[in-house]
Amino acid sequence: MTVGLRSNRDHAQHYRPRMSCLKKLEALVVEMQSGLKGTDQKLNVTTIPHVLTGQEILAWIANKMKMETEEAQAFGTMLVAYGYIYPLQDHKKLILKPDGSFYRFQTPYFWPVQKWPAEDLDYAIYLAKRNIRKKGSLEVYEQTRYNNFHKWLNPKWDFIVMQASEQYKANKQRQKADRVVFDCQERAYWIVQRPPPRAHSAMDCLDRLSDPNEEPQTFDHFRRTTIHLNQAMMRSRVKSTVSLGALVKDITKYKNHDPFLAPCIPSNPWLSNDDAYWELNLQSVEVPTKMRVERWSFSLMELLNDPRGRKDFKVFLKKEFSGENLAFWEAAEVMKWGSAGSMAEQSQAIFKTFLAPGAPRWINIDGRTMGLTVKGLDHPHRYVLDAAQTHVFLLMKKDTFFRYLKSPTYKDMQKKAIDPAPHNYSDAQVEQNGRNLKPGVDPIILWQRSEEERMTAEAAARPVDISQIKNKLDRK
Amino acid sequence: MGKEECKTMLDALNKVTACYRHLVIALGSTSDSQNLREELKKTRKKAQELAVANRTKLTTLLKDKSISKDDRAEYERLWVLFSSSMELLEVDMKRSLEIGQDFPLKVPTRHLIQTGMTGATTTVAARAMSVQNMKYDADANIDTADLKDLETEIVQVGQMREEMEMKVQVAPWAVEAKQEAGAELKSTVSVGNSSVGVISICEEEPKDGEDGENDIMKIFAGIIFVAILLMAAILGYLVINLS
Repeated sequence: MTVGLRSNRDHAQHYRPRMSCLKKLEALVVEMQSGLKGTDQKLNVTTIPHVLTGQEILAWIANKMKMETEEAQAFGTMLVAYGYIYPLQDHKKLILKPDGSFYRFQTPYFWPVQKWPAEDLDYAIYLAKRNIRKKGSLEVYEQTRYNNFHKWLNPKWDFIVMQASEQYKANKQRQKADRVVFDCQERAYWIVQRPPPRAHSAMDCLDRLSDPNEEPQTFDHFRRTTIHLNQAMMRSRVKSTVSLGALVKDITKYKNHDPFLAPCIPSNPWLSNDDAYWELNLQSVEVPTKMRVERWSFSLMELLNDPRGRKDFKVFLKKEFSGENLAFWEAAEVMKWGSAGSMAEQSQAIFKTFLAPGAPRWINIDGRTMGLTVKGLDHPHRYVLDAAQTHVFLLMKKDTFFRYLKSPTYKDMQKKAIDPAPHNYSDAQVEQNGRNLKPGVDPIILWQRSEEERMTAEAAARPVDISQIKNKLDRK
Repeated sequence: MGKEECKTMLDALNKVTACYRHLVIALGSTSDSQNLREELKKTRKKAQELAVANRTKLTTLLKDKSISKDDRAEYERLWVLFSSSMELLEVDMKRSLEIGQDFPLKVPTRHLIQTGMTGATTTVAARAMSVQNMKYDADANIDTADLKDLETEIVQVGQMREEMEMKVQVAPWAVEAKQEAGAELKSTVSVGNSSVGVISICEEEPKDGEDGENDIMKIFAGIIFVAILLMAAILGYLVINLS
């Protein structure tokens, strides 16, 4: 029987890959029942049976799974973290202590199951019940969540209140010992499913579309797997010395620029609440940072991908009167990423500006590529300029780029670039920074600014063309 | 009046849903037994009867176009209560099917989870069925036989919910709650009462263990008192005899 989509609020993102261990854990817990016998716990006058110590559990796991004690302890802690076993003392800390501290098994209804995630409605009912029990004095985080629910689950609030009082009364019907156990169980379940703030939860994981335990092993599934593996075998292989050498080279080049490996200068905004790093590295900044300028020298792609770098490169090319290559490359990029409707007109514009003989910004590519491109322009599509674009890119990379790196433009930029001093904020200062956070510039405004810059750049580029044509005609 | 009837029926459905959930939580643990399975079956049947009755009543009330706006808002609120109850019931029924299948009772080596709960759930079921004592008259293999019934009932409930959603045009997010935050602290909350003006019977919840202790202290005090009386009577008798 299928679950109707209307009740599937996760929009089919229900299955969590790390959770495919749960079915196996359930089988293990059932086996534990025959292996472990609990003792009694005395609470004032009531005795509650089935209490285990951490040591017993650890010994059983180590024996059954044939593990060392450390591994068994990690395994046991995962059992506690998922909620199959809960601690009776120190109930908020979900670890398995290898001493005499007490644990108890959780009832199957409260086990974590892949297709039954803990719902907010149930949590709200639980909080209301707890409110009754504690006579209004919930913990701080519980109180905030309770108030949130009152605000956001307001249509169902009557139901929540009614259900909570009814469930509370139903619980009172049981014997004293069972009541205590039930309260402990429920509390343990909700600590696992809705952990208190700053607590680490085992239920945090990404969602996935299909349940790996339920993939149907049909003929089609095996056929597809076989094809995939055959194709994988036929792929060309690179010697690991070569690929590892390339990887090492890449890492050494980029290691100072990686924010995980080297600290962000001046400071990582996420950690210190100070957005100086972002301010200094904006698209439209006048003077870039030294790290950024260094990065431009790594490859032409890096240079072109950074808008500030591209601007600088354009300045250099203007001096050299060879801006048409970059202009063509940019136009081809715009066409590649543009809307399908504009393909025809863009291709015509590009042909008129760059490719036609005697065009104002004629690019110098070899005859074969030129022929192919012009033929392809009869039926323009997104990638019709790909060959020409690659050729132009290689021209720039092999010749212009190195000249740029040696040019006074670049060297000036290197000298001018700022090297901000690293911040050293203490924790209190970080908090204060957090309080003084100002909102950044609206992205719409940033986009408008970049569009304006682009327009002015385009307009400024045109007058140079006439003198270029004159130069070319003179040379001819 | 239709409204009062509705409210009492909704109260009853609410009570049965709460008790059913309580019983399902005990499934698979050491307080599981044939009796529990039978209680589950009976509670489920009662819940379904109440659900059908509630649904017919509410649909007739909501289909009536000649009611005032306030009345309609009230009926929509009751409808939201009803559909939330049904949602919980459906989920609990599905879970009880799964857990019931995983923990059969008639196998030679039972592996019920040692949760620490050992008592019976008869009182909870009695509360759900609104009877004083539960009578158990089912066969010995109710745990497997019941599961088939349960499957058909789950399908029925699912169909009923779909029908409800198609036929009745109620916007569940447009309903405003009558209770305020913290209304459950006034313990006699039912559908018919609004939050203000309830004569609250606040049950003092004693701390864990103190309840039992109080009883025993009283017993001790009683025994000592009786002993002193006896001593006084004996002394008096001796004094009279000797003199």
